[in-house]
Amino acid sequence: MTLPQPTRRSLLGGALALAATPAHAADAGDAIRPLVLISKPQATDPAQYQAAQLCMQEWRKLGLKVTAQVLPATQQSSLVWLSRTKWDMSTWEMVGRPERSDPDELTYSLFHSSLAENGYDFVGYKNPEYDRLAEAQRAEEDREKRAALVKQAQMVIKNDQPYIYLVYPRRSMAFNAEVWDQSTIVEEAGIGIRNFWTFLNAKPLGAQKDMVLNSPQPLSYLHPVHMDPIGSWVSDLIYDHLMRVDVKGDPVPWAAESVRWVDPVTVEAVIRDGMKFHDDTPVTLEDIQYSFQLPQMKDKTPQFYPNVANIASIDISGPRTVTFKLKAPQSSFFTSTLSKIAIVPKHVWKPIADQLATTNELIENHKDEKLIGSGPFKFVHWRDPEEVMLARFDGHWTPPKLERWILRTVPNQEATLGMLRNNEINFLAIFTGDPQNIAELAKQEPKIKVVTTTDLGFQFIAMNLRRPPFDDPAFRRALSVSVSRKIMAAAAWNGFAEPAGSCVSAALPFWHADDSLIMGGDLAAAKKMLVDAGYTLSGGQLHYPPGRKEEITAG
Amino acid sequence: MSSKSILSRLGQTIFILWVVTTLLFFLFRMMPGSPLAAYIDPTMTAEQQTILLHQFGLDQPLWTQYWLYMLNMVQGSLGTSFIYKEPVASILLAALPNTLLLTLTSLLIAYAFGTLMGALLAARRGTWLEAVTLPAVLATRALPEFWLGMVLLAVFSFSLGLLPAGGATSPGASFPSAFARYVSLDYLRHLILPSLTLAIFLQGLPTLLMRSNMLEVLQEEFVVMARIKGLSEWSIIMRHAARNALLPVATALALGIGSSIGGNVVIESVFSWPGLGRRLVEAVSGSDYPLAQGAFLMIAAAQIIMNCVADIVYSTLDPRVARR
Repeated sequence: MTLPQPTRRSLLGGALALAATPAHAADAGDAIRPLVLISKPQATDPAQYQAAQLCMQEWRKLGLKVTAQVLPATQQSSLVWLSRTKWDMSTWEMVGRPERSDPDELTYSLFHSSLAENGYDFVGYKNPEYDRLAEAQRAEEDREKRAALVKQAQMVIKNDQPYIYLVYPRRSMAFNAEVWDQSTIVEEAGIGIRNFWTFLNAKPLGAQKDMVLNSPQPLSYLHPVHMDPIGSWVSDLIYDHLMRVDVKGDPVPWAAESVRWVDPVTVEAVIRDGMKFHDDTPVTLEDIQYSFQLPQMKDKTPQFYPNVANIASIDISGPRTVTFKLKAPQSSFFTSTLSKIAIVPKHVWKPIADQLATTNELIENHKDEKLIGSGPFKFVHWRDPEEVMLARFDGHWTPPKLERWILRTVPNQEATLGMLRNNEINFLAIFTGDPQNIAELAKQEPKIKVVTTTDLGFQFIAMNLRRPPFDDPAFRRALSVSVSRKIMAAAAWNGFAEPAGSCVSAALPFWHADDSLIMGGDLAAAKKMLVDAGYTLSGGQLHYPPGRKEEITAG
Repeated sequence: MSSKSILSRLGQTIFILWVVTTLLFFLFRMMPGSPLAAYIDPTMTAEQQTILLHQFGLDQPLWTQYWLYMLNMVQGSLGTSFIYKEPVASILLAALPNTLLLTLTSLLIAYAFGTLMGALLAARRGTWLEAVTLPAVLATRALPEFWLGMVLLAVFSFSLGLLPAGGATSPGASFPSAFARYVSLDYLRHLILPSLTLAIFLQGLPTLLMRSNMLEVLQEEFVVMARIKGLSEWSIIMRHAARNALLPVATALALGIGSSIGGNVVIESVFSWPGLGRRLVEAVSGSDYPLAQGAFLMIAAAQIIMNCVADIVYSTLDPRVARR
């Protein structure tokens, strides 16, 4: 299913048609109410704010009255997620995480109709054809066939345009090449150089053996079954997983020696021998089993429950083997579950879970002071909000080469670059200022190496499909076609972004449908699409197709 | 000041604290947006969201929430942070020493410098020293704190490499106790730039205040008498005039301590200083009601209590005030 490709003549005709719509078309529908686009404040997210301004500028040319409503992030989330019928449009972002290197989470969760009421499908998109494709890719075992289904799903979304995709941001990270052997710093697809494999393999060149990284904000919590974006960097190093997502974005066995599908609903994992927790106790099969049972307590661990919800049973089926029985086939199981669930010591967590079982307290809110895992780094201290420190765990079967991993909170972004320059930090893990400044720094200081990566995440305009005129795919397509992604990437993201066409990032070429991109910026085509769908322009204002009344009061 | 007056002043202070507490409680609840938006994952079921609301007491009627809040407050509990899931009091108390050390060090430097410089400027009125120093003092008062902080960072940290650019201690530094950390050389090195920035910003008030007081005092008869007695100029300025001109400066210092505790948001952000101001910013931006209320309350309490202390000290130092 593809969008119509208008000819030059038809475009000109369309542009003239909308402009020449009779001023008082007797059969025109009601005038479309003033629409509201929610955006974060310029100070918080200048790119998103600028993107909203650029979109509104084009949509006004189509005859729409659009105003921006600037809200702080938490208020924006509150309105968009919790009051699903009370907004028109909103700028939004889906962030890149290693487990999103499998397309299932975003493909299924964002648009499956079963999640429209309370789940991730916050725009209220419902299409049985899409549901069928999303379910089929989830069940398909053959990777090639699954990729074809995922691409088909992207093309359905291209046609229906529930989102106006804008860009895949390009994130810059940097490190000090006088401290770290450049060949051991690796880039993970869609994630960048701040990844598990870099932290595991980074080889110090001299006396400085501590990796000192930055974060603009402190962690909220460190927990094996509760994750915030920054905390996940840390817990990923403390806790091991049966599998891990490799630098190409594919799941590979890790704490498991091997993992295989026995049948579409059975997975068998052979566990590595001789693993130890940081308290020197051995990692047993009971620990592995319990690690997957803990997040199954859905009222106690709500955040991680979806990752294990499809597991029917976990059995110890051999001296070193555990067998997972699934409720339904799930092709993303290796990435979304086996690479995600942390291996925890049963002797630590079972008493906690038992104690909290009869209370209102959530396990995911319980603060474990010792944070004992079996990962390559062990927890040393969390001096909130100043720093978190981990140390190499020599008892690990693949110990890291660096000695200590220290994450410093540095809210001042300009100071972060100064610190990188004078070696107070030696790894720039995140930079929320102008990426051009990092490029400049690298030019001045040859020891600073910058790596820029296209993100797994994406930026978009969400339209509330529960509210007209956004319930009309033709209207949504016209809005999308009017917005130039090239200008968006260049002007709003200062060139550090790639035009986006789907929820599967271009950073994942195996899954990404190249044809999904609407480059946009074609106002004449947008006007023609509106005319073809019956919209008319009267008194400079866009009206619904004939017979359609405005059902919602503006504001 | 009589004990009756002191009691009355304390009563007023408690009343104001109650008003501030009540206002803070209702103001935060009037803010748009649910605090749970920052916490709730959209994959949670409605039932799971209800469990969370219940756990944080947000399913109770507003007045019940207020009553529980005040009851907990009287018992010394400020509630549990939505974001960090820890008692608010312990989060704030962990940040308070850093803020107090930064504030008190800066005030000490600012008021020591300001008092001496103010006295000197009054004594050298009409000289080149006044012509140069006075505009400089006014300029430092007008400078934005973040700009001044960034300039000092650029010079002393990024260019000369003499001082660290952020944090309260070096990466990975360990200490046997909190006290050992606060008195360590490492901590003091990290304290220099933020406290110097804040001191430069704060010194304008004591300098100008001291100068104008001194100019008044130097006209008093006892100063003339001291000159007639043949005392040295240094002795007249420092031992006689300055001591009498200090009273308003002491009051300003007390109020300065109160207001500076909450006024360090910018300095703490520029220098990544782990103090109360940064906690306040995080709490407000994350709609963490209990933490934000607690932080504002602590800041307001410091201001109100230091006002009360200033009143009492002033009355003790100058009995004429109490008699009025």
